[in-house]
Amino acid sequence: MRTVDSSPRGHAADGATNRPQQAGVVLPLASAVQTERRGEPLAAPAVRKPRRRRHHAEGLEAGKRSTRALLWILLAVAMVLYGFPFLYLLFTSFKTPIDTIAVPPTILPKEWTLENYANALGRNGVLASFINSAQTAVISTLLSLVLAVPAAYGITRYKTPSGRVFIMAALVTRMVPPVAIGIPLAGMMSSVGLADTPIALSIAHTTISLPLSIWLMSSFFEAVPRDLEEAATVDGCSRLGALWRVVIPVVSGGIAVTAIFAFLASWNEFLFALLMTAIRSQTTPVVIANFQTQFGLDWGSMTALAAVYSIPVILLTLLLQRKIVAGMTLGAVKG
Amino acid sequence: MRISDRRFALFLMTPAALFLAVFVAYPLFRLVADSFFKISPIAGGPRDFVGFENYFRAFASEAFMGAGWRTLAYTAVVVTLEFALGLGMALLFTTLGRKSQVWRTVFLYPLMIAPIVAGLLWKFLMIDNFGLIGTLLHQAGILNDPNQIGWLSDPDIVLFSVAIPDIWLTTSFMCLVLFAGLQNIPGDLIEAARLDGARAPALLFRIILPLLRPVIAVALVVRGIDAARAFDTILIQTNGGPQSASETMSLLIYRTMIRFGDPGLASAMGTIYLLAMLGVAFFAVATIWRPGKDN
Amino acid sequence: MSTRKTISRFAVIGGICTAVALAATGCGAGGPSSTGGAANSTVNVLVEAGGHAELTGVAEQCKKDAGVNVNFVELPYDGMFNRLSSEFSSGNVSFDVAALDSVWLPSFKDAVQPIDELFTDEAKKDIFPALVKEANVDGHFIGMPAWTNAEIILYRKDLFEDPKNKADFKAKYGYELAAPTTWKQYQDISAFFTRDGMYGTDVKGAVETEWLAHVLQAGSPMVLDADGKVIVDNAAHKEALDFYTSLVKSAPSGAAQVDWAAAQNLFNQGKTAMTRFWAHAYRQIPKDSPVAGKVGAAAMIGGSAGVAGVPGPWYLSVPKATKNTEAAKKFVKCAYDYNSMGIESSLGLAARISAFEKYQDKPGYESFKPLIETLNGKATATRPATAKWQQIVDTVLIPTLQKAVAGGDSAALLADAKKQIEALLK
Repeated sequence: MRTVDSSPRGHAADGATNRPQQAGVVLPLASAVQTERRGEPLAAPAVRKPRRRRHHAEGLEAGKRSTRALLWILLAVAMVLYGFPFLYLLFTSFKTPIDTIAVPPTILPKEWTLENYANALGRNGVLASFINSAQTAVISTLLSLVLAVPAAYGITRYKTPSGRVFIMAALVTRMVPPVAIGIPLAGMMSSVGLADTPIALSIAHTTISLPLSIWLMSSFFEAVPRDLEEAATVDGCSRLGALWRVVIPVVSGGIAVTAIFAFLASWNEFLFALLMTAIRSQTTPVVIANFQTQFGLDWGSMTALAAVYSIPVILLTLLLQRKIVAGMTLGAVKG
Repeated sequence: MRISDRRFALFLMTPAALFLAVFVAYPLFRLVADSFFKISPIAGGPRDFVGFENYFRAFASEAFMGAGWRTLAYTAVVVTLEFALGLGMALLFTTLGRKSQVWRTVFLYPLMIAPIVAGLLWKFLMIDNFGLIGTLLHQAGILNDPNQIGWLSDPDIVLFSVAIPDIWLTTSFMCLVLFAGLQNIPGDLIEAARLDGARAPALLFRIILPLLRPVIAVALVVRGIDAARAFDTILIQTNGGPQSASETMSLLIYRTMIRFGDPGLASAMGTIYLLAMLGVAFFAVATIWRPGKDN
Repeated sequence: MSTRKTISRFAVIGGICTAVALAATGCGAGGPSSTGGAANSTVNVLVEAGGHAELTGVAEQCKKDAGVNVNFVELPYDGMFNRLSSEFSSGNVSFDVAALDSVWLPSFKDAVQPIDELFTDEAKKDIFPALVKEANVDGHFIGMPAWTNAEIILYRKDLFEDPKNKADFKAKYGYELAAPTTWKQYQDISAFFTRDGMYGTDVKGAVETEWLAHVLQAGSPMVLDADGKVIVDNAAHKEALDFYTSLVKSAPSGAAQVDWAAAQNLFNQGKTAMTRFWAHAYRQIPKDSPVAGKVGAAAMIGGSAGVAGVPGPWYLSVPKATKNTEAAKKFVKCAYDYNSMGIESSLGLAARISAFEKYQDKPGYESFKPLIETLNGKATATRPATAKWQQIVDTVLIPTLQKAVAGGDSAALLADAKKQIEALLK
């Protein structure tokens, strides 16, 4: 295994210039990812430079002190502007209900209270909706992976014309506005007795995440050298066996990334949930939207629930950020 | 027992293909089929074949044409700003180097927020009388009165206001993608250009952007499609108003189908919309992508 | 971490997740899992937020008396209409009883069952006549009124009773400062109180019912006359629109998007001295709001045709597609029998005359007399019964209002509105 890993593909950022252009810039980025994953030899060149020129610009890096200072200030401003809305959400969730709609509005709570959280979480159906959201997301993610991994492998490894057609079909699927297929899907589900169930919603969510999953997995598979499976089949493995036992472990990181995206796509989805769920399978985004009633703007409960719904996901992201970065760049590039 | 490679590939792709056929192709087929009928909103009601009448009605309706232009405008605004801001942030992170990695991570967080939450949040920030943005701008002396700008109540600017949460949510994505692209630009190239006396603007436009073209192309197309389909954020902020000034195609189709109970007309609108998106996307892919391939 | 360990870790987690998820696949976590087939005595009742409060007490009684278990599903107004539409159109309903806004009855009349047997003679006498009429569509009663509402005037008693204000007002306008009864008085008082960061009243550009009430006060039926002709451009409509927009200068900005919730919040925050609002808002003022305890209630103002309001009744209906018809009808009957319990709820309304009369003199219910007065107003009438009403409201009435409050010409806007409505009704 080690010998394969240290093949020329894995090295250096200048892989871009001596790689045959196959599909846009997938390969160079893939190699960049692999480099990052293996402890960032990108850092290596910098260390080689003499200490007194520590701030020597690497390519695009800013060299001058004053420029760097200015840039840091810009970054700080950007961070504040960018992060402020969510902070405001958090602060508002700790205000008393009447304080949330104060005129003029304030940033910090006059008095910190957990009333909104109690109201939001204690409301009938809210905790159930969390369970539904989680359930739907898990099922949808699994479904997406089970379908996408073999398909992506088939497309990348065996460049058949049907594979190309399939990619085009996936692209078209991506373009379909959910509102167009939401009602027919709901109708289909109820005609088989699956109206208002998590499985129905999961299927709908999978239609959203499947194209992206296929693309992501394609990119990851592209980055795996064929020698691996060849070695395995020479040793007597069937093609399927080679896939399962050899290739998949190598792209396990990629599978994790794809899983994260599929999960997020389902967790945050609103329209299908609105159209297809009623009582039993209602998910939290719909519940959050429902706080906007005709007889009151219950900002307090809404922000509290939104905070509870978003924070675990944000924390998860920050923990897995490296993988997510890798996935995003590949997914976007492959298109 | 060894089936050919081609068969094996097909076999691998079949489950996904079947899934898409049943759960995407078939509903789309139903959509197109429905567009030729006048359908009663209550189940079991009449369903009359009307040929292309729904299509004529759609093109004749001011709401539909208006929604079309609005969707175009919305997409243009969102993608442009998202790209500009994303590029700016990506350049910022690149020029600041490794030290800013922590912040790069933090910058990711809006991607994890549900669009519906973002929409509610920004509605809360921009709403008249209760919104914080007006108050802050007023306190900073930029506005005479906290409610001087009717972010969500002025029909002339509401389309741009509802774009804000969308831009806020997706700038991170653009930034990431462009950052990754920037990472791949060989340092020697930049050094060489610098030695030749190139200043920052020239560096950016003559070298960096052309090199990033494939990445930019894909990102723009992908994000363009997503922006055109935007629904959650706009629905929750303004529900299409005031005076339909923020009603994009997705919202119009939703309303027509569910609120006004005209599934036939809504299906026709949906079909036209889908065809338009396909056309634009393929055109974009053909023009932007092709040249990029010959890098 | 070696790939093998990662794989096995993922496999374990994946396995557990799958097992759990698939095990619970059929049933969602919400609500009782309907066991189909056997008619069980659990009913799902689809309500809007206010309705939920109203019917909670009824639900408990129903359980005791008739053994019917009630499960409420709460949705916001828009969401509810959309849900009803999509479920009725697919033929598969997830509820057994739904609380319908009166304007929806014509749209959904083909999807709900007749409940004529619940409308006994005694019942017909105890329900407001306008509601009995409205509940009868095409010869059958399809909804049981659960509660009714109308807009009244809520005003800041403390400001109105302040001696300095009284003196200043008398000096400026020549009559005593008191709760307004006419349009002119409403305008004067609004102008008077617009100062020092406060406003006299609010103007709601995003909702249409209030303007329609003024149309009634000016002496015309709303939008359509008795023969179904479009009369939205007649003199009364124009007068009402002009009156409506004349208040913009005494109201907070952003009128085009001010809806019920925003207006209610503004009043509760003490930003407006008066508001025309649905009667239930009186009892909903939060205890910790700056205006708690300082609010008075008065009947809706009168125009040239006298006092009038638009009743906003909600009806309980049973969909044809439900599998629990027996239990559903039992619940609707309970709702009628225990209608007065609704008054104790946070929405605080009912549909039976006897219920209102029981409470009108109790402290804390000062809004009832004005409400009954408004409901009994000569010119009070219900909205036109057309299946296209929601569409007329969404696509014509509200945009017209929004343009008007932004400064448009009312005659031109109304003429335009007439054309659009006629096109819709063709």
